[in-house]
Amino acid sequence: MMQHVKILRKEIETPTVFSLYFHWDVKVEPGQFVMVWVPGYSEVPMSLSSTGKEKCLTVKMYGDTTKALNSLKEGDIIQLRGPYGKPFTRVKGKTLLVGGGSGMASMRPLINEESTGIVAARGQDELLFADDFSKGNAICVTEDGSRGIKGIITAGFENLDLKSFSMIYICGPERMLYAVFKMLHGKTENVEFSLERSMKCGIGLCDSCSVDGFQICKEGPTFSISEVEKMGEFGKTRLDRSGKRVFF
Amino acid sequence: MSHLNVKAGGISLKEPGILASGILDENGYSMKRILLEGAGAAVTKSIGIDGRDGYNPPVVVETGSGILNAMGLPNPGIDNFSEEITLAMKAGKPVIGSIFASNANDFLKLAEKMSDYGVAAVELNLSCPHVKGFGTEVGSDPALVKEIVSTLKGSISIPVWAKLSPNVTDILSIANAASDSDAVVLINTVRGMAIDIYARSPILTNRYGGLSGSSIKPVGLRLVYEVRKELGLEIIGVGGISTWQDALEYIMAGSSAFQVGTALWSNGRKVFSEINQGLESYMKEFGVGNLMELRGVAIR
Ligand SMILES: Cc1cc2nc3c(=O)[nH]c(=O)nc-3n(C[C@H](O)[C@H](O)[C@H](O)COP(=O)(O)O)c2cc1C
Ligand code: FES
Repeated sequence: MMQHVKILRKEIETPTVFSLYFHWDVKVEPGQFVMVWVPGYSEVPMSLSSTGKEKCLTVKMYGDTTKALNSLKEGDIIQLRGPYGKPFTRVKGKTLLVGGGSGMASMRPLINEESTGIVAARGQDELLFADDFSKGNAICVTEDGSRGIKGIITAGFENLDLKSFSMIYICGPERMLYAVFKMLHGKTENVEFSLERSMKCGIGLCDSCSVDGFQICKEGPTFSISEVEKMGEFGKTRLDRSGKRVFF
Repeated sequence: MSHLNVKAGGISLKEPGILASGILDENGYSMKRILLEGAGAAVTKSIGIDGRDGYNPPVVVETGSGILNAMGLPNPGIDNFSEEITLAMKAGKPVIGSIFASNANDFLKLAEKMSDYGVAAVELNLSCPHVKGFGTEVGSDPALVKEIVSTLKGSISIPVWAKLSPNVTDILSIANAASDSDAVVLINTVRGMAIDIYARSPILTNRYGGLSGSSIKPVGLRLVYEVRKELGLEIIGVGGISTWQDALEYIMAGSSAFQVGTALWSNGRKVFSEINQGLESYMKEFGVGNLMELRGVAIR
């Protein structure tokens, strides 16, 4: 059912990313997502970057619909439905949160004193939520070397003792997930990926988000490394908007 | 499960429940998984000559007792679909190719390609309610339906199913026009809409859509019953089936097999195995040897 919430405030996170805060009296767990509709534009899946009493959507501007969301202000209404999907598994102890681009948004609710972050982006301007980690706990990786390690996300894992983490959570574009998967594969079992694919229905009917017969919108978006390992399509092929199979 | 075997629309099924067109059947891996988990066959997403992206979301609305959808017939075009059928067929069960076009010639081209890809039958989408020039616009013209069905029956060797729309005034004249087919499939979605009172606007990008799920079961049952009673055609029933009891109602109204779509959302993929189990225990309890003994028994 379509629901309606009122924007409490907006915060600018990076030159292309902003957050919209609102009250929504619904239980949401980290890793779950909503379908956000902007009338006159389209409907897009978005994870919640805050899941307490006050909820938050962190939006990367990349098309008409997300740009239209950017023009909303305090007091305006957002139409959304959800929450959908399977949350991340919560654990006690040390955690490692790995996010590329806007991928950090879905993991922000998991940040606490015991978490370490690997935050990756093209340049320092685009690093998302790196400063939400306790001092010294965020490893930044930038492609242009403007902050932290110069390189791609996998470089952030050097010098880390993988076994010391109760869980490693990873979110970002599939190509990045695949690179991390190949690196972690066989080294540790406590890893969860949040997969991203294009979604049209969000409720397990249209097949646009499916990977190996699993509907990411319903059985995911979070999957353990042992589940991902069995997916023949993961990191290799996907269907485009028309349903045509294309390679990554 | 041998006694769930049915012969329907010219094909043999190990289980009588078929995945309906348009639900989790664009990707071959999805169809394969659903077949392995208890569906007797799968109908593919409706495929046309050329690829289409479909409409912009919102393409679905949850209505409370069903789903309203206007996907806009997204499909990769027939030339790009063979791999998905090959993947689905790895489950070792029949795959039925759903096709849509606006004239007999294009339907024939599509059916021939589907047949080359190895499908067990083709299902003609004469009933999509929300795309101009296709579906119901074709399927509500008895002369055109007759021409399409006879062209295909005269040219291809695999069975031909005609999927009809409930959005017509006289179902009997359309069903009669399709009577050369190996089965009529009843029903596609019922035209409807939803409005958002805050946006003061229809929710679906296409404004109009098609309603499916529990809300439409009585509509589907009536059409199956009427067509079976009046014309005696072979029927595959579809519309609002989510339990074994629903499936039995359709069988007793005259269906030889049934399809399930929206219940993949409400009940999950386990819906097929649950229906199979329920049917088996009902049959055991009432001493029914084969499901077909129950076909049409409710017709008065
Ligand atoms: C999301 C969605 C997409 C559909 N796409 C098609 C389609 O491409 N071709 C078709 O013949 N029917 C399509 N249908 C109709 C279904 O096959 C079925 O006839 C209808 O939904 C009623 O069955 P149900 O209540 O079990 O879903 C679609 C239905 C839904 C919900
Ligand atoms: S978005 Fe439609 S099945 Fe997942």
